Amino acid sequence: MADDIVLVRTQAQPRVRVERALTAVVKYGFLGFWAALCLLPMLLVISTALKDPVVETGNPFQLFSSFRPENMADAWTLGKFGRYFVNTVVIMVPVVLGVIVLSTMTGYALARFDFPGRSLVFWGFVLGLMVPFFSLMIPLYYNLRDYGLLDNPLAVILPSIAGAGGTGLPLGVFLMRAFFLDMPDELADAARVDGCDEVGVFRRIMVPLALPGASALAVLTFLSAWNTFLLPLLYLSGEENRTLATGLLLFTGGRTQELELTAAGTLIMIAPVIVFFLLFQRQFIRGLTSGAVKG
Amino acid sequence: MSGLATPSPAVAGLRGRLLRKGGRRRRTPWPLVALFVLPSVVVYFLFMIWPFLGTLQLSLQAWDGYAQTKTFVGLDNYVALANDGDFWNAVSHIAVWAAVGTIAPIAIGLPLAILLWSGTRFRLAFRAIYFLPVILPVVVIGLVWGWIYNPLFGVLNAMLEGVGLGDWTRGWLGDADTALYAVLFAAVWSTFGFCVVMFLAGLQGIDTNQIDAAKVDGANASQRTRHVILPGIAPVFTFVLTITLVGAFSVFDIVYVMTRGGPGTATETMAGYAYKMAFGRNFAGYGAAISSVIALVSLLLAIILLRYRERGRG
Repeated sequence: MADDIVLVRTQAQPRVRVERALTAVVKYGFLGFWAALCLLPMLLVISTALKDPVVETGNPFQLFSSFRPENMADAWTLGKFGRYFVNTVVIMVPVVLGVIVLSTMTGYALARFDFPGRSLVFWGFVLGLMVPFFSLMIPLYYNLRDYGLLDNPLAVILPSIAGAGGTGLPLGVFLMRAFFLDMPDELADAARVDGCDEVGVFRRIMVPLALPGASALAVLTFLSAWNTFLLPLLYLSGEENRTLATGLLLFTGGRTQELELTAAGTLIMIAPVIVFFLLFQRQFIRGLTSGAVKG
Repeated sequence: MSGLATPSPAVAGLRGRLLRKGGRRRRTPWPLVALFVLPSVVVYFLFMIWPFLGTLQLSLQAWDGYAQTKTFVGLDNYVALANDGDFWNAVSHIAVWAAVGTIAPIAIGLPLAILLWSGTRFRLAFRAIYFLPVILPVVVIGLVWGWIYNPLFGVLNAMLEGVGLGDWTRGWLGDADTALYAVLFAAVWSTFGFCVVMFLAGLQGIDTNQIDAAKVDGANASQRTRHVILPGIAPVFTFVLTITLVGAFSVFDIVYVMTRGGPGTATETMAGYAYKMAFGRNFAGYGAAISSVIALVSLLLAIILLRYRERGRG
């Protein structure tokens, strides 16, 4: 009996091994193909950004054919990407703060307070998740003009907080409400027994507990505010207010000259995004998936 | 901490007082509600709801964006829209976009997610790499793919030449036959990673005991996929479908960056057409009518899909 088993194993093993190896090749080939497709355009940006002026070399997209890190400094100053960077930060910071503070408060109220019109407010915000920017882009332009906000960073900040850029309050209120609904009542009740008023309960007990949810929301909001493109394109057309997104678009304007500076500007725009994503990947993916998986 | 986690009799008593008969909580005093809710509602109303209602109103008017008076024209804008060949041209592009732009990322993302989930080395690295294009700004995606498609020195043409398909080279974005698909491919490239992450999260929520049980009962891999795995990720599936489909109807930014709707009108989208009409030619009312159509279709689709999802769960 024992000999039989050994015989079977020695015969079967090579075939199983070949099959396994083939499966692995197909599997990692498929995984690797799409990974390469994701990475190659990134390499193209980095390589072009660090290249001698394209006019001289004549071959703009050969990977890493020359090395000229000064391009980064040139794009920052001559290409005005430093200015655009600051402008983008000036918009991004108030958007993130505004969305976090307002969503946390309103999400908490919708989860824990009892007041007439509560579900109306909730569904009103949910509606905003489904309304595309296009269905308000035209009147918003004339509204902002009437408020005297055109060409003021507030013309991007306020609509972004409201949710016109895709995330904002609709997503924030939705996420934070769900987060507070999942929290046990007991902690808040204990604080009330100890003489804490409702604002105190919120500030001392609930806000610290909500930090994981708020940080996931912050990461999503940061990315969307950093990348937002249509809002500044439409409502912030002046040169002095250009963001990285609109600055990059107008810098290229279809030209193929100074390609290395365009690539360097691109790198200036995406480097913070990529670093941020790699650092906060967990929060990011949690924020993105929490609504979908649980429902 | 342990004292807080398990409610003491005193806490339970207080909670009893806070709860009315029938389990309803006491009404929160209105100043508190106003403090927590009003600032959000005001910002949201002024910069989302109000302009949204403005679109519906403006779609019933003729206005150039500057004149003091707007003329009420009833449904004239919609009637004109129904007879506008350029609009239907844009609709046909959106139909292609909705079909390919929804199916392709799912068809690429689902197998990748299943492979990652079923146990793979470097799983987290793969997931991060696939997600990289999703976080990139649209401007950058359009720019880089513009380089790849460049007729003179683009990587795509160079690769085709390299494998002996030199006849296929062309200006991918300048050729009316290929422009739409070239833009669409860049869009698919930037969304399939989203599908991978969502499906992977859905798969990780599946109870592995169910799969083991199916294995014990003799279900093979494809049966397990059909009867355990796919039903398990159904909620995620409809969510992804809703997002990509609704997104397809309002697609604009990537097209604007890559082709501005051209060459000619070969890549014009509904939203791009609305933009052109309202801001390029100052037909604000007409542009608003197009926007209203986009909004109605998106909302209808979202409601249908979400209701379907609710029913599937119940």
